[in-house]
Amino acid sequence: MKPVLMLMLGAAAVTAAHAAPPATTSLPDRQAQLPSSPKLEGQEYLIPRPLESIPQGAFGDKVRRGYQLFVNTQQLRGKYVGNELNCVNCHMDAGRKPNASPIWGAFFAYPAYRKKNDKVNSFEERIQGCFTYSMNGKAPPSGSPELVAMSAYAYWLGMGGLMVQYGVAGEVPQLDDAELLKGAKRDDFPAPDAIKAALTVDARAQLPGRGYPAIPKPELPYDASRGALVYQAHCQSCHGSDGQGQAIAGVYALPPLWGPQSFNWGAGMHRVNTAAFFIYENMPLGKSMQLTTQQAWDVAAFINAKERPQDPRFEGNLDATKSRYHKHDGYYGTTQDGVLLGKDAFPVFPATH
Amino acid sequence: MATTHGAQATTAPAMPPQAALCGSCHGPQGLGVEPLGPRLAGLSSEYIQKQIKDFQSSKRQNPTMTPMAMTLQGDALIVQVADYFAAQAVPSVSIQRRGEQVTFKDSTEQLAYQGDWSRELPACVTCHGPSGIGAGTFPRLAGQQASYLKSQLLAWQAGTRQGDSDGMMANVANKLSAAEIDAIAHYFANLK
Repeated sequence: MKPVLMLMLGAAAVTAAHAAPPATTSLPDRQAQLPSSPKLEGQEYLIPRPLESIPQGAFGDKVRRGYQLFVNTQQLRGKYVGNELNCVNCHMDAGRKPNASPIWGAFFAYPAYRKKNDKVNSFEERIQGCFTYSMNGKAPPSGSPELVAMSAYAYWLGMGGLMVQYGVAGEVPQLDDAELLKGAKRDDFPAPDAIKAALTVDARAQLPGRGYPAIPKPELPYDASRGALVYQAHCQSCHGSDGQGQAIAGVYALPPLWGPQSFNWGAGMHRVNTAAFFIYENMPLGKSMQLTTQQAWDVAAFINAKERPQDPRFEGNLDATKSRYHKHDGYYGTTQDGVLLGKDAFPVFPATH
Repeated sequence: MATTHGAQATTAPAMPPQAALCGSCHGPQGLGVEPLGPRLAGLSSEYIQKQIKDFQSSKRQNPTMTPMAMTLQGDALIVQVADYFAAQAVPSVSIQRRGEQVTFKDSTEQLAYQGDWSRELPACVTCHGPSGIGAGTFPRLAGQQASYLKSQLLAWQAGTRQGDSDGMMANVANKLSAAEIDAIAHYFANLK
């Protein structure tokens, strides 16, 4: 990319959160590494209100729609989704569970400025990143009803939980769409006074339980072949010996972990560390923290040393994409079992490569 | 938007002679005879094979089924019998997809569709599929006898049923109260 164009993209992201996304001839990096910090003893997690308490009316309808898109993202298959995943696959309990990247935690963490690429990501841009990479799809346009709904759901979960925690009575204050899409990490974000007094904007952006908690690097360097044994013992009964998950009545509740129907080479989960953190905390389903940290890293390596859809930022040169976007724990552009990963990666959505 | 889903029985194989014995308790088409034998139709061949072997190796315990399973010796025979019952049709059930409903009047249905993560309890439909129709190693719950579903959840709790990967199902059963077990068994049994 030419320096001039890069500057323009950076400026566009900062100043025009609701303008059309910049030209996608060169996708900006909107799938930043997830925040991750170790779990602390005695942490108190935000507890969202039950879904039954979503209010009636237009705002409540957006919240409910957000929930529905979150657990059945396949409604958007072919439109914005290019694989067999649903948001809930990585964000457990419909985005409500702490330490499983709860969507309430994310809402208060955006917009976030990253010095590294000189860009501010609004909350809707962060969700757009999920569609582009995790869902191997096409980002819904800025301001679209889907992004509004998912933002409304995230906001309602988070604000409702904080209100309970800090003794603020009443319904969650309704926000207009533009406010919802920005996210809550800003000084002008409207919040009840009791919450403003209890938590600074920065403190709200670091709610306990957000992201996936970091686990230490394993004693031995992570190893995909050791991970294969972990996979056979603990993962394949649900995800299949071929890693392709299980569809029942056309619905993949047990998601494909690699191959053409899984997340692509730009998704956060292709990073070995991110996957290890997720797996250690959340797998096997309903029986978290059963694996050793070594097993979690090894099996994350095994899963991520397999071919998957191309990185959408790929412009025809594997080495260029690798050196620009893959300076982290991952296997893109490396040779595994005689295969140069990324060279013949499955197509992204829509199939342009 | 509900759709229906039943097993396809267009190419059901003829009943192998050894399956006749099974049919005396499970029904000749494996539709079940409550309380003698649960429904086998609608289960996958893979699942039925595994259960026969689990009875043979005492991972599952039942005074009637253990000797019955012993009459089926050898993989070929087990496959033949399992294939027969797996191919039998079951009454179709209206499929409710996850997310279709946001809130539930019935707390049992909510447990089936949303689980209870305050107890690390995943939704039943995560593994057993929408409306519990099952596939592969995950048995069909829809239309299964309530008394059988209940006895199995209790068997997981008691440890007299094992053989699940990582004790996943035992983990779920152990978190359920007696009342929840009763309610969830009736919920899936009565799905239509």
